[in-house]
Amino acid sequence: MRWGWLAIAVALLLYPWILTGPFYERMGADLLLAAIAAAAWNILGGYAGQISVGHAVFYGIGAYVPLLVYTHWQLPPVLGIPAGILVSLAVAAVIGVPTFRLQGHYFSMATIAVAELVRIVVGNWDFVGAAIGLMGPAVPRSLLDLSFKSAVPYYYIFLAVLAAILALTAHLERGRMGYYWRAIRAGERAARSLGVPVRRYKLWALLLSAGFTSLAGSLYALMVGFVDPESAFGILVSVEMIITAALGGVGTLLGPLLGAAILVPLKATTNSLFGGGGSGLTYILYGGIILLLARFEPGGLIELSRRIATRSLKKAKARAA
Amino acid sequence: MLLEAHQVSRAFGSFLALSGAELELAEGEIVGLIGPNGAGKSTFFNCLSGDLQPTSGRILFAGSEVTRATPEAHARLGIGRTFQVPATFEEMSILDNVMVGAFLRHPARGEAREAARRIVEFAGLDRLRDQPARSLGTPGRKRLEIARVLASEPRLILLDEALAGLNPVEIQEAIALVRRIHARGITLVIVEHIMEVILSLTGRVLVFNQGRTIASGKPRDIVDHPAVIEAYLGQRRQRRRRE
Repeated sequence: MRWGWLAIAVALLLYPWILTGPFYERMGADLLLAAIAAAAWNILGGYAGQISVGHAVFYGIGAYVPLLVYTHWQLPPVLGIPAGILVSLAVAAVIGVPTFRLQGHYFSMATIAVAELVRIVVGNWDFVGAAIGLMGPAVPRSLLDLSFKSAVPYYYIFLAVLAAILALTAHLERGRMGYYWRAIRAGERAARSLGVPVRRYKLWALLLSAGFTSLAGSLYALMVGFVDPESAFGILVSVEMIITAALGGVGTLLGPLLGAAILVPLKATTNSLFGGGGSGLTYILYGGIILLLARFEPGGLIELSRRIATRSLKKAKARAA
Repeated sequence: MLLEAHQVSRAFGSFLALSGAELELAEGEIVGLIGPNGAGKSTFFNCLSGDLQPTSGRILFAGSEVTRATPEAHARLGIGRTFQVPATFEEMSILDNVMVGAFLRHPARGEAREAARRIVEFAGLDRLRDQPARSLGTPGRKRLEIARVLASEPRLILLDEALAGLNPVEIQEAIALVRRIHARGITLVIVEHIMEVILSLTGRVLVFNQGRTIASGKPRDIVDHPAVIEAYLGQRRQRRRRE
């Protein structure tokens, strides 16, 4: 397992040197960004089992605040990152208290409602650019603007962020927090009977998840330099996080990265093959993936590979015996 | 008294499921709750564990009021429970299931793991330690639930039909396990249908019928109590006559 992680780390570090050119560089950055967002979603939706379909709220806040501080006060967008995280945490706490009274599908539906509400409000609010959205600095004024022509600097920034999130998640997964999250996912009533303060641990998961999702949104805005209500707060933003994590394996450390490594190149290919019209095709593809996962392998590719591994192990044992 | 319940009632809408239940439980006792289906024993049980709040009445545990405390507060104070339909954490390994319980008193992972290992061994699940809980059958799951609640180091365990659905051999094994738990100084309240279990384990029995406690006393005496015979056998005799 340790060697596996080392191999992944080396591959990711070398990627921009092996696959060069703007197309692959941008695809690599997109891949890592999708992995960051999915890993952030995975803390709440995977480990703690609370399926949020409204994480676009935090992604959108994270994307908007950096460009907002630039547009209104000409500050470097980077300064908006911690501000965005703080706003996201506050919003998460406000949303969390009432929605965590709901369980299962009801929780998911409530998160969709909140996200759509926020999207519509943002789309009609002139201070945040209404339906048009916000722009970042067209020409970098200093290095602090973090505005690069090539995608490679973003790639390495994203890689560092992803490594930090995965390291923290791995640490929490091993400790009491991780055990309590998994117990909550498996059965709240039983968890409470063993003294697990369910509300508090769900809130912890939500805050961590929201904070990192906000960070992902900020990184997106820094790289793209432009946000509008649909690209930051749209329901597809939430859906992409879920599909990425679910395809790899919900509640696993590697799942989000694995899901992103498959989905992002797939999306880049369909978009380049079919042009703008390909974006519609991408969503048909998403629908197909959801169907296949729900029907055949809710545990995602990680679970599938685990099953194949144990089966071949059993076969090998049977042959030896 | 370790546990005192005074005039505990619980209504669901206009239906009074439990009316004025009384229980005084000394440390180290094993008390059985029996009665026909719908007699109110599960309602009473859930009021004791904090899963249901009584509509009226008071419950004291070790001298402090727990009438409206949450289930997690009950666990922290030292009241553990199992479920009628085992609620094991299916995807987690047996050891990990028990660790969730152990984390209550041992926040550090290493200590929780050690404590959980000892309990898993005590419950005779050592060999299956790394298997996922879903690989167990009903008897294994019930055993795992008991191990899990033991790991939370309670003073009182509420067992909700922990022996239902077991075959005679498994029942004997489970009775032996409950005796060993009792020998550790843990007080027990047992809801059970199987008379054999009640007779061999409990020192005192509370009989429920139609939301009320109709009798209480030593299990041997209870079996001959007219109200109990009426509640249990009387119905059956009447039914037979009707047929």
